[in-house]
Amino acid sequence: MRPAIEFRGVTKQYGSGSGEGVTALADVSFAVAAGEVCGFLGPNGAGKTTCINTLMGFLFPDSGEVGVLGYPPGDVRAKSQIGFVPENFAFHPFLTGPKLLRLHAVLAGLDAAAAGRRIPELFAQAQLCGHEDLRIGKYSRGMVQRLGIAQALLNDPQLLVLDEPTSGLDPAGRRDVREILLALKSMGKTVFLSSHILAELEQFADRVIIIDHGRLIREGPLAELLDRGGRVAILVDSLPEEMEKLLADSGAAIERGGQGVRVLVDPVLKREAVERLWAAGCDVVSMNPVRNSLEDLFLTLVSDAEKAR
Amino acid sequence: MRIRAIAFLTFSGFLRNKLMIFFVALFAVVVLLMMTPLMLFKAQAGAPGMPHTESMVLGLIGSIMSLLSGFGSLLAAWAAADAVWSDIRSGTILAVLARPVRRWEFLLGKFLGVQLLMAAYVLMMLALSYLLAAIGGEHIHPAPWLLIVYPLLRYALYSALAMLLASVMHPIVSFAIMLVIMVLETIAAPGSRAPYLPAWLKAGLYAVLPSPDLLSETRFLTITEASLKRTPALNHLTALAYGLDWTLVFFLLAAWLFSRRSLVRD
Repeated sequence: MRPAIEFRGVTKQYGSGSGEGVTALADVSFAVAAGEVCGFLGPNGAGKTTCINTLMGFLFPDSGEVGVLGYPPGDVRAKSQIGFVPENFAFHPFLTGPKLLRLHAVLAGLDAAAAGRRIPELFAQAQLCGHEDLRIGKYSRGMVQRLGIAQALLNDPQLLVLDEPTSGLDPAGRRDVREILLALKSMGKTVFLSSHILAELEQFADRVIIIDHGRLIREGPLAELLDRGGRVAILVDSLPEEMEKLLADSGAAIERGGQGVRVLVDPVLKREAVERLWAAGCDVVSMNPVRNSLEDLFLTLVSDAEKAR
Repeated sequence: MRIRAIAFLTFSGFLRNKLMIFFVALFAVVVLLMMTPLMLFKAQAGAPGMPHTESMVLGLIGSIMSLLSGFGSLLAAWAAADAVWSDIRSGTILAVLARPVRRWEFLLGKFLGVQLLMAAYVLMMLALSYLLAAIGGEHIHPAPWLLIVYPLLRYALYSALAMLLASVMHPIVSFAIMLVIMVLETIAAPGSRAPYLPAWLKAGLYAVLPSPDLLSETRFLTITEASLKRTPALNHLTALAYGLDWTLVFFLLAAWLFSRRSLVRD
């Protein structure tokens, strides 16, 4: 099946014509399958927005190939199936929300009947009812962001590209965006989303792509990435010092707390660790797998990439 | 539909542009002040010993209209140079071009938005010229279409050139180049007094610059019974075709360059 998004060896450099250039993307390759919700992660300046702008056809790569829904970036056949929310969303401030949606309905090629149905529906979904006559210039950041998401959904897109869609939103606004994204996921839409709010992303992303300094440092199904490097936590009532040293030497992490001592070991070493603890007379209270959080994974990978440079 | 929507959006944006409003208001004040001598002519008309005032009134109207037309050229150049750039600067271009809109369609919409602005300006200029003539008690002889089509075409040409320049450079630089071109056109125009320029240079500029002779400022602003009325229809057609030709070439070049440029600031 044709991927919804495909990057093959994409490189992009800024300012290469005037002396020292900055490499925004270096040989980046990845693919996002149709129907996937893909989180696109990276620290500030990692190249996420450059990647999204290349995907949308706003920038041209220096080398490599990009495909969107089987077409080159910027092709109107692809764009007619895409909903896009750019970072730092900007609209014409003199328009009102409904007028902006009407403009985008025309640009998206929606007929008057479809536009007449969709616009009030999306305006209400964006919780902007009562602000029909307010110019966008007077909107709060959160209102602009919600309107941006509403315009992206106007054409019932197959692919949604969102660059930091929850920035500027309060917790309730973020929850609303999350619900919209979950609904889109259940409808089988492809979502490509860059965000810094990893805990939220962890709740609905099928796959993550992590880049840093323009290089892809990890990609794969989220569940697989989080399971990889996971540990087992063995809770014991007490732990003699010599035993603690022995476990630490074998790579275990020890956390002492009010309810006992937590011994974190690699899953392959769990049996050996438990047997040693029993043999040392420790009372094993519980044993549970500990999954990495996306945040842990992200920070570890970025830190490893930093060390490797 | 898409192109029309972008054109009207651009036009609406211009009408709300504070800088544009300020300069138009300033210019309106200057025009109103210049009407004072016209009122004086009118008051003195028919007084014993006064020469016939027709030529004086028409001459004054000609000067006012010339000033207005010059301002129109500047307005067309600035509006066109800034039309796309302001969208790139604000980021609004991204949401629009994320839609199934081709880049040339976007640029054409922007260009037509500028032409809507200039059409409004030309109509105001025309109304003002008739008002001034009525105040002065005189008649404007050339057919109104001449006073509409020639300026519009000239502004279209200027805006297409400004758009072309702004596709590859900052709008302020584009505007400065447009100013230089306008000055050079005045110098190169037949009959201009520029003794410091060698004849070959004047001839070269005359050949290279986009709006000499038939589309010149002097020509289409002559609102007395002068050259325009005596011009055969074929000459008008040639002049207008010449202007359209240049405009089309500039616009196509601008569209070609725009299709290759980045839409975000590096």
